[in-house]
Amino acid sequence: MDNIPFQTHTNPADTAPENAGRHFDRWWILVACVIGLIILLVVAQPDPYRRIVLFVRDGIWVTITTTVLSFIMVLLFGLVAALGRLSKVKAINGLATIYIEVIRGIPLLVQLLFWYFAFPSVVRGLGELLNIEALKNYLANPLVMAVLGMTFCYSAYMSEIYRAGIQSIAKGQMEAARSLGMSYFQAMRYIILPQAVRVILPPVGNEFISLLKDSSLVSVVAVADMTRRGREFMAANFIPVQTWVMIALLYLVMTLFSARVVTWIERKTRLER
Amino acid sequence: MNPIIHIEGVHKYFGDVHALRGVSLDVYKGEVIVIIGPSGSGKSTLLRCINRLEEFDRGTIVVDDIPLDTTENINAVRTEVGMVFQQFNLFPHLTVMNNIMLAQRIIRKRTPAEAQEKTIALLNKVGIPEKAECLPGQLSGGQQQRVAIARALAMDPKIMLFDEPTSALDPEMIQEVLDVMVTLAREGMTMVVVSHEMGFAQAAADRAILMDEGSIIEEATPEVLFSAPKHERTKAFLSKVL
Repeated sequence: MDNIPFQTHTNPADTAPENAGRHFDRWWILVACVIGLIILLVVAQPDPYRRIVLFVRDGIWVTITTTVLSFIMVLLFGLVAALGRLSKVKAINGLATIYIEVIRGIPLLVQLLFWYFAFPSVVRGLGELLNIEALKNYLANPLVMAVLGMTFCYSAYMSEIYRAGIQSIAKGQMEAARSLGMSYFQAMRYIILPQAVRVILPPVGNEFISLLKDSSLVSVVAVADMTRRGREFMAANFIPVQTWVMIALLYLVMTLFSARVVTWIERKTRLER
Repeated sequence: MNPIIHIEGVHKYFGDVHALRGVSLDVYKGEVIVIIGPSGSGKSTLLRCINRLEEFDRGTIVVDDIPLDTTENINAVRTEVGMVFQQFNLFPHLTVMNNIMLAQRIIRKRTPAEAQEKTIALLNKVGIPEKAECLPGQLSGGQQQRVAIARALAMDPKIMLFDEPTSALDPEMIQEVLDVMVTLAREGMTMVVVSHEMGFAQAAADRAILMDEGSIIEEATPEVLFSAPKHERTKAFLSKVL
């Protein structure tokens, strides 16, 4: 490389075969544009835009926390459900199938309302029935119920993504692993899942973005997320247009940013065949 | 001496298809058996039953004095039986080195240094030590199959099963794989090979077996089976292949 003087800034990794994935991803410009627009609005018209952003600031963190917590749990629970769905044991397979079919047939909003309003009531009723003091006085924590509801719902969808990914790996991979003496779970962990993860990354990324957007639904179960804070601001100030434009822009930044990160991870983990 | 593989009256159904119809076969330590036969004759199925990649419906298979009847036995048997597949089935996300090291580490519980030493020795044996850090996708078919053989050998198996190991290879790559197999046979490995490579059978096999429609039709030394078959179906099959 020394004999190419005009490429002084080239680092050795640039010549590696994966440098196809190192090209600048132009869609980052769109993210920058939306961020620029938000800053422009806040700076040019502090009233009301700066006030809105400051007011919903804590809601932004609640939205991010709810989404990230739920998503981590969805990744784990979705895998469990997918392995259940792939199980040859009829009882496990049946249970997983019923869970997936039932949950996917009920709107997320209804599920969230159930977890927040009905579930604690059921627990208290159970406490009365079994005479357990702790259960009798059970009070739902809105955030916990929201995360639980989102996890339970999204895991059903996620499990189908996992299942498709696992089934897309050639049968011979499992056979080769088993023929070396690996157990089913060892084969899953070392051979099947590392390959499946690469396959399912785009749909999993989409699920994350959907989850981020659907997290706005938790505003109806007393979680003070971005959407709920927006409603509170609107109720106090009567400026719906500016409020919802700003809230929409804030969501847009998060979703566009997430989409770019997913693309970036995809390029990083791409496998030569 | 007990046979190292004892197969007796094994039946296998795929739905309505009667794939194995009461197959019996004894393989002794150090023997090399070649199984030939038309496609759909059950030869691959029989091979896959020996390490229970297929479950069989009736009969007995005993491998190295372990009867294949319970799930607890199956991993014990599989660590003693190496298998080489038609489609290689290397793990595409792992380097050649890690393909061969992985099971040594997690099944045989070898230290990284031990596993690595073994891997390098095996790559030398199959003739591609320079490919250790490549991904399988960067290798030719013949090289991939040799890695697959090394991967199976890394577990120090007592028996090696080969399921049409050269059928997916370009003609010019077949010999390099067969050479490795012949070396292995000469070293005294017990081998069951499903293959139509007459050259290999004549160079290395102790017995050749013709299967058709789920049964063993004829069994003889390779010289006799290929040049002076007794059974009509053997003659008919050989006339198509040769």
